[in-house]
Amino acid sequence: MPEPAIVARDLRKGYGLKLAVDGLNLEVPRGSFFGFLGPNGAGKSTTIRMLTGLIPQDSGSIEILGYKLPQQELEIKRRIGLVPDESFLFDRLTGLEFLEFAGRMYGLPRATAVERAYGLMHLFELADDGKIIGEYSKGMRKRVAMAAALIHHPDLFLMDEPFEGVDAVGARLMKDILLNQVQRGATIFLTSHVLEVVERLCDRVAIIDHGKIVMCGSMEELRAGGESLEDAFVRIVGADRPMERLDWL
Amino acid sequence: MIAAILRAQFLSMRWGRRHGSIWRFLPLTVWYLFWLASAVFAFFLAREADLVFLRRDLPIGFLGVTVYWQFMPMLSASMGMGLDLRKLRIYPALHRDLFAVEVLLCFTTAVEMLLVIAGGVAGLLANQEAGGWAAAPRIIAPALILILFNALLASGTRSLLGRLLARRKIREVVILVTTCLWMLPRIFMQYRIHPKWLDPVARALRGPKFSWSAAAAAALGDLTPFLTLVLWLLAALWFGRAQFERNLRYDAVAAQAMVVRKDASRRRSLSGAFFAFPRLLWRDPLAAIVEKELRSLVRTPRFRMVFVMGFTFGILVWLPVVLGGTGARTSGGSSYFLVFVCVYALTMLGQVTYWNCFGFDRSATLFYFAAPQQISQVLIGKNIAAMVFVYLDVTILSAVVGTFHLTAGWGQVAETLVVVGICAVYMLGLGNMASVNYPRPLNPENVSRGGGSGRSQGLMLLFYPLALLPVFLAYLARWALNSELAFAAVLAIAAVIGGIVYWIGLDSAVIAAGAKREQLFAALTQSEGPIASE
Repeated sequence: MPEPAIVARDLRKGYGLKLAVDGLNLEVPRGSFFGFLGPNGAGKSTTIRMLTGLIPQDSGSIEILGYKLPQQELEIKRRIGLVPDESFLFDRLTGLEFLEFAGRMYGLPRATAVERAYGLMHLFELADDGKIIGEYSKGMRKRVAMAAALIHHPDLFLMDEPFEGVDAVGARLMKDILLNQVQRGATIFLTSHVLEVVERLCDRVAIIDHGKIVMCGSMEELRAGGESLEDAFVRIVGADRPMERLDWL
Repeated sequence: MIAAILRAQFLSMRWGRRHGSIWRFLPLTVWYLFWLASAVFAFFLAREADLVFLRRDLPIGFLGVTVYWQFMPMLSASMGMGLDLRKLRIYPALHRDLFAVEVLLCFTTAVEMLLVIAGGVAGLLANQEAGGWAAAPRIIAPALILILFNALLASGTRSLLGRLLARRKIREVVILVTTCLWMLPRIFMQYRIHPKWLDPVARALRGPKFSWSAAAAAALGDLTPFLTLVLWLLAALWFGRAQFERNLRYDAVAAQAMVVRKDASRRRSLSGAFFAFPRLLWRDPLAAIVEKELRSLVRTPRFRMVFVMGFTFGILVWLPVVLGGTGARTSGGSSYFLVFVCVYALTMLGQVTYWNCFGFDRSATLFYFAAPQQISQVLIGKNIAAMVFVYLDVTILSAVVGTFHLTAGWGQVAETLVVVGICAVYMLGLGNMASVNYPRPLNPENVSRGGGSGRSQGLMLLFYPLALLPVFLAYLARWALNSELAFAAVLAIAAVIGGIVYWIGLDSAVIAAGAKREQLFAALTQSEGPIASE
């Protein structure tokens, strides 16, 4: 059996007195489409940033695709495709230029980077009209970010809200591409607040709340009681209490 | 509503202030101390002056105040700085209230003038010939009306210019021209130029029909000009309000987008060769980083502005000094002129390149840490790109200075290239450390002030002389020993030490970038306030 794509053990990260991630244990099997869910401020983005080596953990261990973080950081970075929650696109480059740049930064020969950049622009229905990224809409920026994550053909994708701000057509396109990547053996680890998307795409799910994993298992296990993912999620994070009422509202 | 908006803006600015430390306020303190001294000077001048002097020169003083006050919004609009109250349109605020906020904030753009007017008015109150304290209402009222007039006019001017200059290329030309105009009086004085039209114009400006002369006359006891002043105030109110309303409805994004698309493909083909050269000299990822930097910087209005200023300001500022008061060339000055202006250009470019090298990348800096290469490669790539533009400025300056025969020939050009290179090595080393320790996000559209954080701005004052010291010592050796060999030897030692400083700086920056990457991301993703003032 191949090693898991992600193994995190007793991961902790604090900001001042607040523990954003508090003893997180996680195992993501290779080739899975893994949904990482949690309420706002639960520690999802912090976890993704630690898994990519963007921020250091206070304690605990991380193994990505069999490589240890931070000791083999560059090996890991070469093999992952990242779509972070914040924009990491250079506003003064065109979409095509950014994709070529990303490819070359990930070690592709320039000719290959250019060829793949053109292909991805076409695949993501982005026009090469000389427009700089700073003028792109939010949905277009997300498409470029996802294209950049694909250009070096990674084995693992880490995606923080990849469908946020993307229209229905773009979202369908991105989902198809991601499913295609899973079929070829890649692993996808994504966070999303759109539970319908997670329900349809993911085969495994973990729920984080207050920095701890409160549930981890297959989609079938999660919905064993016949609940929808949304109902199960609300119940697990303890948010299924009656809504408070404000007199004036 | 007004209080809520001002409070929100104040709260948004807290973060930067808390982390700014004393360095952030050092240049500001010097600036306001200068204006405080001017206010004290205005006080003594007004207190000691006789009525003849006041009747002749008070209008000119008030004119100066008006010119300065109107120049500031012009400068801020052309730089893309300042307030954008359009963000507040989503709230059910009355336009009248928003306009009040705009006018209130206009006072902050000319605090200097408030100080000077206060000094002048206090001087008039202390001057018995002007009426003294007994005439306080008559002296203070016109001054207050003039202040309000200026704030309203400045608001209208800023709104009008903001729309006119929304097209980026126009903005850059205007900022260059206005700052050059700002130097015109100095050049006139330096060359003792006294155009014939100056006296009639000066006489006309003292005439009673203008707001400044009406305010001066009213302050000195004439009642009729008071009515003129009130009419000017009403006109300014109408102008300011009308322009503000038009500004609220204006779509700047649409105006800019049309300009960008028009010649994009032609520009791409022309610049292709320039952007391609890094891949001929270096391997990826270094070549990719240099190429990306060149592309990004060339498309950044703020950078373009400073780049152009690098070779224009140097000449405008220092040429009169070199040529001397009569316009004659001084041998000592001209032999160092090229070196001087090139080092000046190097320091200017520091603001937008090496001193805060992640500033324009902002949140995209994250990409460098996500991609599989050492951060040292990124810093070196950015340094190389900075040096490309530094040497472009040097080339242009050499051509201009050569055209006017202000150099001693090719030898001096070669010397300049070496000296600039050595100075740059020191500055890049220090700049790399500043970039990771004191990062600050920069708006690429805003052609405004320096690129470092408050602390790094203050450190610059300290580091620039330090970075230039080794080269200064080489020139000192040449002068003291009258020996080219001594000059070359000290320069060579300076170069070796510079190399060591650079590598230590780079190493230190890489370690700091690893340790402080969270702070780096946090600082670079910091947003502007609700009404976006920089």
